[in-house]
Amino acid sequence: MRLIGSIVPTVLGLAIGAGVLSAGLLLPDVARGPMPDGGAALPAPPVHLPGMATTSAGVDATPGGPMRFGAPATERGTHGLALPVAQNPAAPGYSFYFTRGAYSGRRGGWGRGRGSWSTDFPQAEFYFTQLLGRLVDIDVYTERGGQNPILLDDPNLRRFPFIYIVEPGGMNLTESEIEGLRSYLEAGGFMMMDDFWGVRETANVEYQLAQVLPGRPIVEIPLDHAIFNSVYGIDEIRQVPNVRNGREVASGWVGARTDEGDNSEVPYVRGIFDDDDRLMVIINQNTDLGDAWEWAEDPWYPLDFSTYATEVGINTVVYAMSH
Amino acid sequence: MFEFLFKYRPVLFREGDFTFLTPWPVGAIMAAGLVLAAVAVLTYRGTGRKATKMDRGVLSTLRIAALLVLLFALLQPTLVLDSVVEQRNFVGVLLDDSRSMTLPADDDGTRADFVRSSFGSESSALVDDLGERFSLRYFRFGSDVSRVESADGLDFDATRTDITSALDRAREGLSSVPVSGLVVVSDGATNAGAAVEEALVPLQAASIPVYTVGLGPETLQPDIQIDRVELPRAVLRGSDIVVDVPVTQRGYAGQTVTMIVEDGPRRLAEIPVELEGDGEAVLARARFTLDETGPRTVRFRIPPVEGEAVARNNTRELLLEVREDREKILYFEGEPRFEVKFLRRAVWDDENLQVVVLQRTADNKYLRLDVDGPDELPTGFPRSREELFRYRAVILGSVEASLFTPDQLDMLADFVSVRGGGLLLLGGRAAFAEGGFQGTALEAVMPVLLETPAVDPRAAFTQMSVRPTPAGRAHPVSNIGEAILPPEAEPREDLDLDDPWSTLPYLSTMNRIVETKPGATTLLSGLTPNGEERVALASHRYGRGKAIAFPVEDSWQWQMHATVAVEDQRHERFWQQLLRWLVEDVAQPVRVTPQRERVEPGETVPLVAEVLDSAYLEVNAANVVASVTSPSGLVTEQPLAWTIEEDGVYRGSVDLAEPGVHTVEVRAAQGESELGVSSAFVQVGPSDEEYFDASRRTASLRRLAEVTGGRFYTPETVDQLPEDLQFTGAGVTLREERDLWDMPIILILLLGLIGAEWGYRRFRGLV
Repeated sequence: MRLIGSIVPTVLGLAIGAGVLSAGLLLPDVARGPMPDGGAALPAPPVHLPGMATTSAGVDATPGGPMRFGAPATERGTHGLALPVAQNPAAPGYSFYFTRGAYSGRRGGWGRGRGSWSTDFPQAEFYFTQLLGRLVDIDVYTERGGQNPILLDDPNLRRFPFIYIVEPGGMNLTESEIEGLRSYLEAGGFMMMDDFWGVRETANVEYQLAQVLPGRPIVEIPLDHAIFNSVYGIDEIRQVPNVRNGREVASGWVGARTDEGDNSEVPYVRGIFDDDDRLMVIINQNTDLGDAWEWAEDPWYPLDFSTYATEVGINTVVYAMSH
Repeated sequence: MFEFLFKYRPVLFREGDFTFLTPWPVGAIMAAGLVLAAVAVLTYRGTGRKATKMDRGVLSTLRIAALLVLLFALLQPTLVLDSVVEQRNFVGVLLDDSRSMTLPADDDGTRADFVRSSFGSESSALVDDLGERFSLRYFRFGSDVSRVESADGLDFDATRTDITSALDRAREGLSSVPVSGLVVVSDGATNAGAAVEEALVPLQAASIPVYTVGLGPETLQPDIQIDRVELPRAVLRGSDIVVDVPVTQRGYAGQTVTMIVEDGPRRLAEIPVELEGDGEAVLARARFTLDETGPRTVRFRIPPVEGEAVARNNTRELLLEVREDREKILYFEGEPRFEVKFLRRAVWDDENLQVVVLQRTADNKYLRLDVDGPDELPTGFPRSREELFRYRAVILGSVEASLFTPDQLDMLADFVSVRGGGLLLLGGRAAFAEGGFQGTALEAVMPVLLETPAVDPRAAFTQMSVRPTPAGRAHPVSNIGEAILPPEAEPREDLDLDDPWSTLPYLSTMNRIVETKPGATTLLSGLTPNGEERVALASHRYGRGKAIAFPVEDSWQWQMHATVAVEDQRHERFWQQLLRWLVEDVAQPVRVTPQRERVEPGETVPLVAEVLDSAYLEVNAANVVASVTSPSGLVTEQPLAWTIEEDGVYRGSVDLAEPGVHTVEVRAAQGESELGVSSAFVQVGPSDEEYFDASRRTASLRRLAEVTGGRFYTPETVDQLPEDLQFTGAGVTLREERDLWDMPIILILLLGLIGAEWGYRRFRGLV
């Protein structure tokens, strides 16, 4: 009896603590104020922002004027993003920039403290842009590791007709981000979403997209769609695991799995089409292409997952540049 | 005055030869003259000491001059003329029977009134005078020529004036009789047939002078006229058409009138036209779209202003074909670029354009889009002319020259020059000089000059603001203003609808193009941030086709830039206009051209057909047949025959009687295989051509007369015609001598010189 009386509270305490930790990780960050001092911002690779900076006044692009590369940047913090900024004289004149959307939402992202938008940043784009330039005849920007993160309400977003959004399960867009992303897509921009799992995250993604493109349904993309054979022939949808699960699978651990729980066993490729039946948004659900790019050179991460993820990525980019 | 002084009219002195008929030897005359001159000088030596040397000199001069005049008269000066023998020669009188003769003359009345009164069956002084000396033969002319008895047979209803044919027919008709000359009575407003100069040589060879009587005022005023208008022969449905319509006027300088453009009952445009100085042409720019297919008659008219001398020259009608074809364009891109995406999207809804994309994604790996089937472009860029020439136009993106074989480069050049296709060259890191095209067959096709290629294209990267040039503003590609906002959108103050180019974002280029080739036209120019002017869009004709350079690599900025509204359609409009222009007038394997697009009922229409095979090489001895469908549906067939002198050219003619638009369809076949079909249209109906430029063409008529040895007259001076005709020297003539010793000028000079000598002596006190 005394033993039970000491064990039960211990187990309960551990369970509650784990639950709190999990909630802290899973719940989206709704804070709108400036980041408190002592925030858990871990050292991270320098972030480079290209092109003109935005001011707090909003649109900074001079009508009809030339784009200014290398202009000083202004820190934004009105929506709680701890977004270190720096000058980035990204060389102009490339045909393709791997542009990562920096959105409002969940902070943390495995301890990086910058926000879930920065998951796999910057290694994922470093490896992916290298492979893209090597395998396909695209004039791809690879300077500064190919980094090109940009805020969703930054007018310069419209300069880059392809954008990559990672972990949208933690996305919580502001009104200006919704408006910016909507005009971007309606003007002809293409968005690739990746790395969100399970029922809860999917519900959040659907909610956010409904804000951006109200009235446009999210539908499954059939395997005979042009995006699955724009460069490589993709005849099945595979679930690409995150790096930890991938290593476990490669090592042959018993119980190793590729999903991340919450009914995320089945991968889906969905999309949103415009009025002319052109794909505007591709949504890679229950899969983690970014990790496969990031860990492509890791000897413990299965090569076939990286290969598949690279093929999907290349097909998506080539499709986005021609449709 | 001349005739008073010299007894005869100048024409006699011009036509005749001057001579002295004295029987005395010249030496004796000279000696007598010297003796008289010496006597005259010596007599002044005795005038006393009062006369100075100057006095003696003046007096001597006056007396010697008087003696010379007397001597001149005593030498029997004579004018020798070849005068026609009365009633032994013929004169052809050519009377203009066209509608322009119903227009006002210089005085009250019309030009036709003068013709009727002077050359009608009722007696007139002119005809009587002519009839005494010559046998007259009358001809009437308009678009054809025929003999008439007098001006009574004229109805002044001919819709064209062909003076050249009239002169030829009259000359040939009178070739068997002695002809003293031809008299042309006309306003000289020829508008049909060959140039008048072509009739001059045969007339000069036959020594037949032409005497022209010009009718009507030299300027019609007050009057407004729409001058000649040019329209493309065929356009795609929905294409923007831009036409500069020249308008001239007299008497309405500074006023503003309205020009209306119509397609049947449908009003296409209304353009205010501010008239400039008298006789100066002002260009009225009309922009419109034709949405109904088939032959369309476009009418340009300015409602007559009160008091206009001629109202029927305020309207021009032109026929053009509006086609519903789907033109196929091959877009070959060397690498994935966003330009592909946005170009396709821009013309996505254009049902008349099909852009087939062949995009290289990796070595020997291509992405094909919008192909008609799996058999299209299976091995990449076409390797044969037949395969390439199926397309109406080719767009080359950022593709280096080394990707093509030399034969493919030659093929591309032939695609433009031989096939007549359109070629559009886009900018990019592997385009133009940066793509290694110097020295290739394609460089010759380009409308721009290639600079030394940049070692690092990215270092040559720059941006430029793009604006239309003056030539570009008159071109459909620059007509993007209406596309800024859809009609239902709210107005925006930040957009200048009158200058839609001023708010477009900068574009990027890695190809430094600053100069075009001679004969090329720059439609858009670019200005870089450091002030350098670049060529942004230029074109020229090359052989049968056209080549266009657009050294820009990201026109999609006009769609995606943050300053461009989502509903803005300028990017779409620009590309639709550009590609429609690219395929405009591209040759087909079979092409029929009526030599006249508007004729009178019953007139003959010559047809010319060009027949080519699938490689666009001329085909001789093919079976070519023209089927003509009248407005009522009646179909007649007419074979066309190979000309033999010209490869692939076939000729024939059809007579069209029924008013309305006739469809001419030509089919060509060689053996069992059909080579192609071509259609054209001819409008049959009365023409108002006679009312345009209907003032008297004095210069033309005067030149016709002077070159052939005749003279030009007006109604006021035409009474001199009979006498002038008498001394043409043409026909049966006899030699006539006319004395000149009794010219009044001689008596006046003699009396004047003697009087001057006496007066000088009185003045000097030497008397």
